[in-house]
Formats: sequence, structure tokens, C-alpha cells
Amino acid sequence: MKKFMIFLLPLLVFLGLLAFLYQGLFSDPREHESTLLEQSMPKFVLPDLMETQKTYSQEIFEGKVTLLNVWGVWCVTCAVELPYLQQLKEDGKHIVGLYYDQDIDPDFGIKTVARVQQEVKEKLAQLGNPYAFNIFDVKRDLSLDLGVTGAPETFLIDQTGKIRLHHIGDINPRVWNTKFAPIYNKLVAN
Amino acid sequence: MKGFSFLIFSFLFGQSLSVFATEDKFYFEAPEQQALFFELTKELRCPKCQNQNIADSDAMIAIDLKRKVYQLLQQGQTKEEVIDFMKLRYGDFVYYQPPVNSMTIWLWLLPLFFICIAIAGIVLGRKRQVSHLDDEKLKKAKALLESD
Repeated sequence: MKKFMIFLLPLLVFLGLLAFLYQGLFSDPREHESTLLEQSMPKFVLPDLMETQKTYSQEIFEGKVTLLNVWGVWCVTCAVELPYLQQLKEDGKHIVGLYYDQDIDPDFGIKTVARVQQEVKEKLAQLGNPYAFNIFDVKRDLSLDLGVTGAPETFLIDQTGKIRLHHIGDINPRVWNTKFAPIYNKLVAN
Repeated sequence: MKGFSFLIFSFLFGQSLSVFATEDKFYFEAPEQQALFFELTKELRCPKCQNQNIADSDAMIAIDLKRKVYQLLQQGQTKEEVIDFMKLRYGDFVYYQPPVNSMTIWLWLLPLFFICIAIAGIVLGRKRQVSHLDDEKLKKAKALLESD
């Protein structure tokens, strides 16, 4: 019995290690719990991307279930998800864009707003426009407050302006059905 | 030869210019504040490029975080306040020193646990060796030695 244990124990430890490392192969290191879940949207005052004299604040999220999609024309994956977002919009989802530009360095150069607007118009004309409107995160302050690490990222915001879901990466039918739909449908049913 | 040394000189000089430029981007009145800035940017992890701190990373998010650290320090916030600000947005993940909680306590306990097991194994193994030498065997050994 003792001898048996001496041989069995290392084997069990090895198998345990194997299982641990094996599941590590498939885990996504970018995935970590967002600290903002169940929190209200951070305060902000930012202009509309197309009409910069118009400004928005966190209050615009009250009263409607909203998908807040962080994107930019420079982002390749965003272009991939645009057609699917368009489809979601046609199904009656309220999608708001949070636009930020990579080439605008708050410390140095400023790309003209007209130029950014032109690029956005061309992109949306080409791939479809799922957005009710776009918030222009000029200095990327709101993105930072939201814990955004890049684009695309999407937040599901409930009627009271609370963040219910933070998804890093693109939205596709699989992600929508497994991750978003259960929470979204429950929110809409209320 | 002259042209060559000029080339080296201009290369060295050009290098040092670019170094000054990066430091000038974040200008500090107090040297302690600058030291704190360098300390913080070394200890905060870039959320996009996970094995780099924000000082070493050129990802846009790292640049934005550096700028935020600078702004917060300019407002007179302490090191702890800046770290809390970042953790609130990017989670514990953003700081290289993990907090001690029910999940991470194993990082400290498991090595201790293994050391204890190893010590126990060594002690037990020694005991068993000693116990093999029972009186009869000792007598036999003695007899053998004396018979020589």
C-alpha cells in the first residue's frame, strides 16, 4: 500500500499540473473582470462627433438600454464588426458610438476635426452606420475612466445608466448570443 | 577621419537630444515628484501589452496612462492615490504588486506548504533509516568487527 502511494502520489500531482496548464492554453489573458460592473457611468461632458457644438453627458444613458461601442476608423476589428452592429440596430437595439482617434495626441499635434469627420463619414457610408450618434472622446478621458484598453470594446448600459457588461473585442453572433443576449433580454423585459 | 568623428559626434549628440525631448514632455517643478513619476510608471502595468510596464510601452493606452499619472501628480496626489485611481479603472491587474486576498494568499501559502512537506519527508526518511538498525543487527555487526 505504501509503495503504491509513493508511485501514485507523484502521478496525481503531475496529472493535476497537466490539467492546470492545459486549461491555461485556452484562457484569454486579456480577459479580466471589469471593475466598473454595476457602477454608474462615469461623469463626462463631451461633444458630438459630427456636430461638435452639441455636447452630451452621462445623463443621456438614462431611460434606455444602450450599447456603447468604443471604436475608430483606424481599428481593423471595428470594421469587421460594423456590419453585425448594423444588423443589431435593425433589430431595434440602441447603439451609441464612443469615438476616439489614435492620431490626436493631446500633448502635441491635433488632426483637424473636419478631417476626422470626413474619415468617419466615408467609413460608415462604406460599411453601414449602426450608431444613433457618436460621442467624440477628444482626449480619451472617458475611455480611460471606463477602463478601455483598446478598440473595439462594448458596454451594455441599463435604463438607470449603470454598466452591466464590459466586453473586450468584437461583437459577433456567438458573442452576442452567449454573452449579451441573456442580460439584454432581461433588461428589456423590465 | 575628421568627417568620421563628426559623424560619431552628431550621432551621440542627436541621441541625447531625443532623450531630453521625452523628459521635457512631462515637466516637473519638484525633483521628488519626478522621481515618484518614474517609480509609478515602472510599477504600473500596461493593460494592452501585458508584460510591459507603462514606462517601457509605447502603446497608446500606456501613453494615456502616463499622461494621467502626470496630471494626478501635478494635482498633488500621493502614490497611493494614483494607484487607487488606476485600480478603480483597470482592476488590481494594473499594479504589479498583487493584493493579499482569498485568491492570491496561495501565492504565499503554497511555497510554505511545499517546504513543510519536504522537511517532513526528510525527517521521516531519516527516522526510518535509523529504525532499520535494530539491536540484533547491531550485535551481528559488532561480532563481525570483533572477529577480524
